[in-house]
Amino acid sequence: MEGRRVIAHLDLDAFYASVELLRDPSLRGQPVIVSGSGPRAVVTTCTYEARAFGVHSAMPASQARRLCPQAVVIRPDFPAYREASRGVWEIVRAHVETVEQAGLDEGYLDLSDLVAPKAAMRRLVGEIRARTGLSASVGIGPNKLVAKIASDCEKPAGLVALSREMACERFAGASPRLLPGIGPKTAERLEGMGIRTIADLRARPEAQLREAFGERHGHDLARRARFEHDGEVAPVRETKSQSSETTFDVDVADRAEQVRVLDRLAADLCERLARRELRGRTVGIKVRLDDWTTVTRARTLDHATNELDSVRAIARELLHAYDPPRPVRLLGVRVAAFEGGAPAQDGAPQLRLSV
Amino acid sequence: MKLSTTREALSAQLQAVTRVASTHTAVLALSGVQLHAAAGTVELRATDLEVGLRVPLEATPERDGDVVLPARLLLDVVRSLPSDAVTLELRAAEQDVEITSGGAVFHIRTLRAEDFPPLPEAPGDSTVSVPARAFVDTVQTVARAASRDETRPVLTGILVSASGRELQMVATDSYRLSVKRTELEEALEGSFEANVPARALQELARLAQGGEDRLTVGVGANQIVFQVGGAVLSSRLIDGQFPNYRQLVPESFDHELKLAGDEFTEVVRRISLLAQKNAPLRLAFVEGEVTVSAQTPDVGEARETVPVPYSGEPLEIGFNPDFLRDGLESLGGGDVVLKLINPLRPGLIEGADGSGFLYLIMPIRLNV
Repeated sequence: MEGRRVIAHLDLDAFYASVELLRDPSLRGQPVIVSGSGPRAVVTTCTYEARAFGVHSAMPASQARRLCPQAVVIRPDFPAYREASRGVWEIVRAHVETVEQAGLDEGYLDLSDLVAPKAAMRRLVGEIRARTGLSASVGIGPNKLVAKIASDCEKPAGLVALSREMACERFAGASPRLLPGIGPKTAERLEGMGIRTIADLRARPEAQLREAFGERHGHDLARRARFEHDGEVAPVRETKSQSSETTFDVDVADRAEQVRVLDRLAADLCERLARRELRGRTVGIKVRLDDWTTVTRARTLDHATNELDSVRAIARELLHAYDPPRPVRLLGVRVAAFEGGAPAQDGAPQLRLSV
Repeated sequence: MKLSTTREALSAQLQAVTRVASTHTAVLALSGVQLHAAAGTVELRATDLEVGLRVPLEATPERDGDVVLPARLLLDVVRSLPSDAVTLELRAAEQDVEITSGGAVFHIRTLRAEDFPPLPEAPGDSTVSVPARAFVDTVQTVARAASRDETRPVLTGILVSASGRELQMVATDSYRLSVKRTELEEALEGSFEANVPARALQELARLAQGGEDRLTVGVGANQIVFQVGGAVLSSRLIDGQFPNYRQLVPESFDHELKLAGDEFTEVVRRISLLAQKNAPLRLAFVEGEVTVSAQTPDVGEARETVPVPYSGEPLEIGFNPDFLRDGLESLGGGDVVLKLINPLRPGLIEGADGSGFLYLIMPIRLNV
């Protein structure tokens, strides 16, 4: 092992909403919700004023409007958010060498070489605020897991540094759902085993978790409960998969209509793949039924593809094979397991000069 | 505004400015051509905000003024006029221009003249006069290697440097790099270096076809203005650092082959017909010969073997057929020197006669 690792997770506070406030300062102090407008739209983000009414991101927009009828609802403007995000990460990269951007509004920073990481982060957050008007929260820890959770502790404008032991203690009574990677399904099964807190999870013998969740997932759960994690801060996020999905305004039971939508999603996806010169060996579909049961099915081919004909044919076969037993709420098509290396032209990659 | 002119003069000049007018814009006036009549002269003007062009029109102005008309429509109308004599007159009340020729009468609604931006003046004092022919030839030698991908704007330009008796242009789209150094007969009075949009230079090359002897170049902080004959072409300069192309060219190559340029170009052209859908053109070198081949699935294949002074281990390298052909054609005949290292390193094409032309081309990795 080399020296101690110090990792920060930087998370911009209510990012999309903050960009909107910068553009229209008259919204300041008001509850603002950024969301689409369809009947099935969800809240993309909202200001802390809106959060006070119980609104949170990923909540159906209709519910948010009921909770907070006086909120100003804004349609998301992604080009503007991308632009604002670029400005922030330029500042971050000017100060920190190893940065893994995990989204427009969050990323991991490797601070292992810094003498005073917390002071450096305080300066960085100050500079981001001064130059972009955006507020950020930072969590600092010995690994990405602790950093991520710490950044969320005292939002907005929080700056929290935790050791692994401190994290164990501080979140002992919290729900296991606090840990990234533990979703509602896993939480439900844990609850069935009498595990309601992170401390409960930590107390459970790993063998029992392995038995219930399988070798890898069980082992992983036990480690997460101890706040152990050894993922590197990887400067470039490799594209692992590309997908295209849509939620229907009204649940669709008609198979012909489902197939039509599936075809459109496949066409959309293949066009995107072709533009990025990506070909994948795995083609999958995602189906969410009206009762929120979500099913994925995939097939791996012996050659990589981004051809519409084959992606569409496989997606259709997978849909027919699954034969959705109830009306469908969401459909998606995904291509993964990309060919490695440089972008390819029909399998023959054109090399480039390093200009 | 009122003027009379001839169909030939008007359509020739309109054709030039219409190429510069914007084709897709929110500002309608930018898709227009401005007719500017003042002090006994008439000028046609168009711009898409990046490139601007003003050309003189041989005409008799009867009343001064400015109008902006849809460029494309005006060109189509003028070309179709029945008689050689044409008059154009602004009808202010109707907000249109009346065009009469023979028995034909057109009324074309004007575009908002206020939306049409002023174009840069002809270059002032700090200009350099360069021989037009040499300048245009140099543009045409390298222009094909410039990128058309707007996501890397810096590569959509041609780096032009002129000083003393040397004129040099460089273009690269990251797949190939084209450099042409032209020696001038006399030293220039003044010097400049600028990254100029390839589009603007290609337009300039067309304008200079008229056989003008010299053209004048004025370089400002962020724009360049060319004057050739009575035409003034202006262009924004491209921001950002043009790549240091010198460090892209390998210092040494393992193989250096002298080939008959025309013959080899013909072989490449022929065999390329069967390199479709991005299929590479393969060059397989063995002792004393090269086999050029191509294969497109479901279409067919082609091959041809020609003697070349190759010696050493066999080497097979793939190139994009268009890129290879561009390089050979830019050289324009004569003997070619082809330099290679291995199938994954760039190849170099040069003129054997010290032509000052250098074309570096990246291979396509072959799946063999």
